[in-house]
Amino acid sequence: MSLSGTALWPLGLCPLIPCSWSYGRGRGRGRGRCRGSASSDPYVLELAESLEDSLPSSPSPLRNLRMASSEALLSTPWPSRREEPFRFTDLSFIRNSRIHPVSHPYPVTLLTPLSDLPHPLYVGPLSALSSPSLIHQVSQFLSSSAPHHADLFWSINGFAAPDLTLVYVPQGTHLDNPIHLAYHPSHASDTMHLSNPRVLVILEKGARLHIIEDFSANHNHSYWTNAAFEALIGEAAHLTHSYIQSQSLSAAHIKWTSVRQESSSTYQLTEVSTGAKLGRHNLHIQQLGPDTVTDLSTLHLSVGDQTQDLHSTLVLDHPRGYSRQLHKCIVAHSQGQAVFDGNIQVNRYAQQTDAGQLTRSLLLQPRATVNVKPNLQIVAHDVKCSHGAAISDLEENQLLYFQARGIDKNTARRLLIFAFGGEVIDKFPCSSIRDTVRTQITNLLDPSSV
Amino acid sequence: MALSLPTQCPHTVNPLRRSPKPALLRRLNHRVCVVSAATPLLQVNDLKAKIVESNVEILHGVNLTVNQGEVHAIMGKNGSGKSTFAKVLVGHPDYEVTGGSVVFKGENLLEMEPEERSLAGLFMSFQSPVEIPGVSNDEFLVMAYNARRKKLGLPELGPLECFSYLMEKLQLVNMKPDFLNRNVNEGFSGGERKRNEILQLAVLGADLAILDEIDSGLDVDALRDVANAVNQILTPENSLLMITHYRRILDLLNPTHVHVMDKGKIARTGDLSMVEAIEAEGYETVSSLT
Ligand SMILES: Nc1ncnc2c1ncn2[C@@H]1O[C@H](COP(=O)(O)OP(=O)(O)OP(=O)(O)O)[C@@H](O)[C@H]1O
Ligand SMILES: [Mg+2]
Repeated sequence: MSLSGTALWPLGLCPLIPCSWSYGRGRGRGRGRCRGSASSDPYVLELAESLEDSLPSSPSPLRNLRMASSEALLSTPWPSRREEPFRFTDLSFIRNSRIHPVSHPYPVTLLTPLSDLPHPLYVGPLSALSSPSLIHQVSQFLSSSAPHHADLFWSINGFAAPDLTLVYVPQGTHLDNPIHLAYHPSHASDTMHLSNPRVLVILEKGARLHIIEDFSANHNHSYWTNAAFEALIGEAAHLTHSYIQSQSLSAAHIKWTSVRQESSSTYQLTEVSTGAKLGRHNLHIQQLGPDTVTDLSTLHLSVGDQTQDLHSTLVLDHPRGYSRQLHKCIVAHSQGQAVFDGNIQVNRYAQQTDAGQLTRSLLLQPRATVNVKPNLQIVAHDVKCSHGAAISDLEENQLLYFQARGIDKNTARRLLIFAFGGEVIDKFPCSSIRDTVRTQITNLLDPSSV
Repeated sequence: MALSLPTQCPHTVNPLRRSPKPALLRRLNHRVCVVSAATPLLQVNDLKAKIVESNVEILHGVNLTVNQGEVHAIMGKNGSGKSTFAKVLVGHPDYEVTGGSVVFKGENLLEMEPEERSLAGLFMSFQSPVEIPGVSNDEFLVMAYNARRKKLGLPELGPLECFSYLMEKLQLVNMKPDFLNRNVNEGFSGGERKRNEILQLAVLGADLAILDEIDSGLDVDALRDVANAVNQILTPENSLLMITHYRRILDLLNPTHVHVMDKGKIARTGDLSMVEAIEAEGYETVSSLT
């Protein structure tokens, strides 16, 4: 293993990594900042060190977040397949690469023209924010917001995110145009660049926003995107979230989405993930008050030697929540894999909850695999909950129906695959995104049509 | 005979389309045809077929010839193999042909892929048409129509160019335009599915249309609509093979030949008068007569 990271320790800044751990390898160029006794995973320690080296040297409002994350980072070993959350997800692809953390340039750009945005609203890097009260609010929130099942990757991001993209929508403000964030990974030929983009969305009471996260890449480089997205949806506020992941098939894409919903708020997520050799989405939604609406639709597609993984948790602690989750995956390659672990907790006080979960998988090759674990944990008694899981190939009867009307089998297959995915794709509110995603999928399923 | 298909859309006149005529006229046409020409369209000889999955033979040697312009009906008990026969003809993958031959328009039908059979002019309406969630009816029709045009060497048409053609066909089967936007058969009532099958027949045309229980589940008005549509779609040169349990559609479409299928074979062939015997005495008696 080789981690690059040769930057010298910036003078005048005290180390973020507490000096309480042992550095097992005794690297010759150890900088003497970390001599301790707490045991941890040497690989993670080395990674942490290179992450720290990559950070900008200026003081940052993210400092609290970094402090909190560093502790978690140093006490968490690299996940193994013996642990439930990674049982079916092989991370050795990342581990066997030479990781090079990069913090500059910051990989998130805003495609929506800022001139269109009404005033007290803020969209931009936290580092450019001038309002001290908002900075304070953000900083407070960040250091306490870690989701319950936060893992090593959450901590890596919290520790190494060089900046944060803040989307702040004040009370009652409705944004007509979507905020469109594009992510551009940097890459090199000999190392795997690691970037840690982070986004925080704060919707105050009654605010309304559509945000688009677009992780795309039309080249085939190797890199690691370790992204985090947090949203705090205020009372009666409404967040629509479109997330498109079509990164390079040689890349690793690990993403956290952590959402908190106050009473009567709505969160609506539509995700289509087709890219990355290893794609993992951790989705965590926490209900903070009654009468929330949560609508999750996700489509994962593996056309190559790829893993697409969704781990979701939805925690309902208050009455009258309404939730729908639809997860679909298509595995079109004999070495492709899809993983789904979908947990919905309907806890003691969540009476009159209406929760539905459905997962459907389409396996198009004999050895394609899917591991699905939908699960509803219901403690409240007065609830309406349903779930279902189905795994199948395309229906012969449906294929024949096309053929019997003169449409050849390949065309029919493609159409049926689209029809399967269309249920999710159609939920994107923007037609331009629907079209882009459809084109992407057409090209992935039939590279000759490009 | 070439495929019955309009060569341009939407402006030219569809050669299939005739002004609505009462059923009587069609009957006359058929009689004339049958007398004047006996060109074989479909020749089924000792056809045997089994279910792939279970290896159970269902068709034990079916013999049937349908000439151009003839209207045939197959009746028979539940489970006697009528639908299996129809599905084997269109190439359903659940079945494997284990013996015999099928010649359609002079060619070996059994060697063709299902889509080639369709493009060659064979149409079957399914007894239970399958739902196709996520594919809209108009998208499906345009695609099927274009596959046919392509086969004829005609340029494919965009959805808008097809619109008025489709609207005309909708009118023919008396369906509301909303059906174009709905997904193929999804949530359709039994009768709506049957109408939708006839809509597909109207759009695509056929030399031989096999209608598997097109009348089951139709109310009286719907049955009349469907029969009218079929009478308008098919010219005297086209042939029809309908599978049914009921007399009403036979009276509307007036078959020249009536067959009784029993245990995977055509047990008896006659004309409409045989239907009376079936209704009076049941299949057992009729199929055992020779
Ligand atoms: N794919 C299949 N799998 C299992 N059994 C089948 C299959 N297809 C046909 N069969 C069996 O073959 C027999 C003939 O079925 P078929 O559908 O052809 O009957 P039918 O004459 O059309 O009956 P009905 O009048 O009820 O429509 C039945 O016993 C049926 O159960
Ligand atoms: Mg039948």
